[in-house]
Amino acid sequence: MRLLLVDDENEFVTTLAERLVIRGFEVDYATKAVDALDLAEKNRYDLVVLDMKMPGTSGLELKYMLEQIRPNMKYIFLTGHGSEEDYVAGSQQATHYLVKPVNISILISKINEAVDTHE
Amino acid sequence: MNNPDTSSQYGPIGECGLRFFGKVSASISHEIKNVLAIINENAGLLEDLSFAAQRGAAIDPERLNRACLQFSKQIRRADGIIKNMNQFAHSVDQFAAPVDLCNTTELVCNLAGRLAAMRKITLQIIPPHAPVVIDANPFLLENLIWLGLEYALENTSEALSLTLAPEQSDSGTSLRITGIDGLSEDFSDKLPAGCKDLLSASNAHLAVDTAHKALIIHLS
Repeated sequence: MRLLLVDDENEFVTTLAERLVIRGFEVDYATKAVDALDLAEKNRYDLVVLDMKMPGTSGLELKYMLEQIRPNMKYIFLTGHGSEEDYVAGSQQATHYLVKPVNISILISKINEAVDTHE
Repeated sequence: MNNPDTSSQYGPIGECGLRFFGKVSASISHEIKNVLAIINENAGLLEDLSFAAQRGAAIDPERLNRACLQFSKQIRRADGIIKNMNQFAHSVDQFAAPVDLCNTTELVCNLAGRLAAMRKITLQIIPPHAPVVIDANPFLLENLIWLGLEYALENTSEALSLTLAPEQSDSGTSLRITGIDGLSEDFSDKLPAGCKDLLSASNAHLAVDTAHKALIIHLS
């Protein structure tokens, strides 16, 4: 399964990517929306794990832009933001909405669930 | 906090002050969540590597070292966030105190760091030649600078830079926020609710210098 991780916290996204690779996933990551869009142009991903709040472009805006490039990808929002407003928006727009810090087993079960549901 | 005049100090700005407190708290909690997430992933990675080592895999000592360095880096980061939060929380302890305007501006810029980062805007403080110290209510002053900065961030294009300059002259003390490319003469219509009450309670007023794209907070 191929994943794209997008989060402006470089240390977070690189380490999470490394841990998912250890568990057998193919993972690319980006810390900027523009880089995420570039990766999506070049590669096909099963699922995108997206931060809700990023500099310049919100996770919701980026999801919309990614959908224009690759309409069939699934999404999980993974965010430090815990407001009710974000939860409502995030859970409506993605398969799952998870709050940092997240247990990797839970993240993986949600990833599998999202992709299995899709298939 | 045993001043009997609490209501007279904060009554007029009640909702505005609470909103300020809420926004700062939300921003701080978000920052701390990010720190915890990085620590969580690095702790998890050490577990992964330990598990792999138990099964005979060779572990790169440099990778272990980088994970450990992240712990100390994130602890320093969290310590900085909490120091700012603590200073902010204690600003309601005194209703009137000598306040260094540059230090207070720096605190508010730190508290607003994530808001600025979201807009990709750089905040730069230009320190005065000599300390600018005024007698003020620290919390009201922070709230006032926050509102000015919030307005500036909302009316400045992404990826630009804002400068904040505490100034003292014969005409008084002020904080000049420069670089607001969307500044207009009708700026007062765009100010958040409660700003007028806050200005009144702080004995301050706002002015614009459109030629220099500057909002000036005049402090008495």
